[in-house]
Amino acid sequence: MRPDASPLVAALAVGGVLLVGVYLVAVLDRVVGAVVAGAPVRVGGLLAGPVRAAALLLVQRYRGTERFDAPGWALAPALLLGLAAVALGLVPLGPDLVAADPATGFVVFSAAIAFVMIAVFLHGWSPNAVFPLHGAYRYAAQALSFQIPFLLAMLATALPAESLSIVEIVRAQASIWNVVRQPLGLPLYLVVGLAVSFWGPLNLPDGADLAEGTSAEDAGVARLLWQAARAAMLVAVAAMGAAGFLGGWWGPWLPGPVWVLVKSVALLVVLVAAGHLLARIRIERFVVVAWAVLIPLALLNVFIAGAVLL
Amino acid sequence: MGGADPAGAAERVHRGGGVAVTESLLVDALFWLFAVGSVLTGYRVFRTDSMVRAAFYLLASFAGVGGILVLLGAEFLGMVLILMMAGEMLVMAIVMVMYMMNPAGLNPMWMVHQHRVAVAAGVGAFLVLAGLALVADFPDRPNPRPEMATEQLGIELLGDSMLVFQTAGVALLATMIGAVAIASRRGRYGEADEGSQEPPLAPESDARR
Amino acid sequence: MTLEAVLVVAAALFGIGVYGALSQQSFVMLIMGLELMINAAILALVAFWARTAGGNPQGQMLAIVFMTVMAIEMALGFALVTNVYRVRRADITEKLRRLRG
Repeated sequence: MRPDASPLVAALAVGGVLLVGVYLVAVLDRVVGAVVAGAPVRVGGLLAGPVRAAALLLVQRYRGTERFDAPGWALAPALLLGLAAVALGLVPLGPDLVAADPATGFVVFSAAIAFVMIAVFLHGWSPNAVFPLHGAYRYAAQALSFQIPFLLAMLATALPAESLSIVEIVRAQASIWNVVRQPLGLPLYLVVGLAVSFWGPLNLPDGADLAEGTSAEDAGVARLLWQAARAAMLVAVAAMGAAGFLGGWWGPWLPGPVWVLVKSVALLVVLVAAGHLLARIRIERFVVVAWAVLIPLALLNVFIAGAVLL
Repeated sequence: MGGADPAGAAERVHRGGGVAVTESLLVDALFWLFAVGSVLTGYRVFRTDSMVRAAFYLLASFAGVGGILVLLGAEFLGMVLILMMAGEMLVMAIVMVMYMMNPAGLNPMWMVHQHRVAVAAGVGAFLVLAGLALVADFPDRPNPRPEMATEQLGIELLGDSMLVFQTAGVALLATMIGAVAIASRRGRYGEADEGSQEPPLAPESDARR
Repeated sequence: MTLEAVLVVAAALFGIGVYGALSQQSFVMLIMGLELMINAAILALVAFWARTAGGNPQGQMLAIVFMTVMAIEMALGFALVTNVYRVRRADITEKLRRLRG
């Protein structure tokens, strides 16, 4: 993970973190669900639940549709998982403990987020079926609306660092975290982060309990992979939020990497809980809010951040 | 050719400060991978039987070019190109599907005109340009500080080339206003689909001409 | 990765773009051809910047101007296509024999 370590080690580390993170998301989802519903929290059952669900999907029968696009359907979950890995690989655990630290880290992250919409559209389009296609168009509308506020919210964090490198962005938060410096940033980022990983109140493109979602025709391993990729994206969004707004490795008493983990998990709990506490939002309302409220707020955030620096 | 490769390349270029033969071999291999990939997918854009597939192929071609830009040391430009193209391709796919008969854009299609002329022009353009590239003698002055490319660009953008940058911004603003004005359904004299014609000067003459 | 190799790749992309822009009937496919040509130009430009400009950042600046041109072409192109489709129900060039509104 240090700059002199081999790329293979870094890739394996990122993959391992993703795997653990996906499992954590599944467990958290169940725990929060049980707490919100007032059901008793049985630790054993909750820990084994995701494994059981995964095993069920693994033995499920393969299912196809008529004249589907086989390469696209197979590629979509892999692409989403790869994008989550790219985004997570940019998150530093410490000043020199990071899988990749390109000078343009922020742009790489943004490009990964922009490609999420390609992955989701591909996933909804390739089965050549009505319901997945509806989900794909919904995500397209959602994605074209969240891109700009998402970029602006993240961009404001690059201003105090005077650099696009994620490590520098975290380093610049030594004295004061961005969440204090830019109070608008984190809420904006979290709202739009839910939209990026189509989770919780914004999962209309792919709701498990809805007929219309991009994974409506998925079964077995493909469905498992898609769900894992979605959870991985949520992990990446949470980890990047911890780095960009909550000061990454900075914190008293504990070593840096532990702080990164604590902050990421805290954001993850917030994101997962939003799915159980908030009602689902219709796409057209979200689009109006994104263009008319979130973008002006994000611009205001950037202007304030710039003014403070001057 | 998804999002993972260019990012990996960026990482490698970023660390490529040390002189190593394996490093340059890797860069060469990646370059040919991106080059062949982007040309092949660019060709497939016009040889595939679905508009959405064409959009995805074009995106793959652009991602390949973005990867080459990163390998050339223009990290920022390459990543911005990839970032920009993702949104653009999605809009393209949606617009195509909107104006085609089949909602998913999966029907076969082959819609060309003046095909021979077009093939000749394409091959001719390639031969002339490639010939020029191979024949001409270019100076060899590589960037002395490749790791500073992004910073140089930032200082140039907000320094000497501020006027160009601002002009580009104003042009984009004008484009946004113009595009909204052209594409908006309601024109000055009514709905676009009903003709949006101006009313006649004399009140009793025929409104529809 | 020599300058010549990159330029040949750019020439190939440009040739494909010329072919697409001239041969396609559908407006959107035509725009795709244009995009490929501009993309080839950006590639050649950045190659020249990287290998012959001695690190002068104005080469990158010019590439950014090209990207702006690309975005403008795309936005206005789609706006025009939308308007033409609304008024004429036309999605291919052959249906536009008359350009007067």
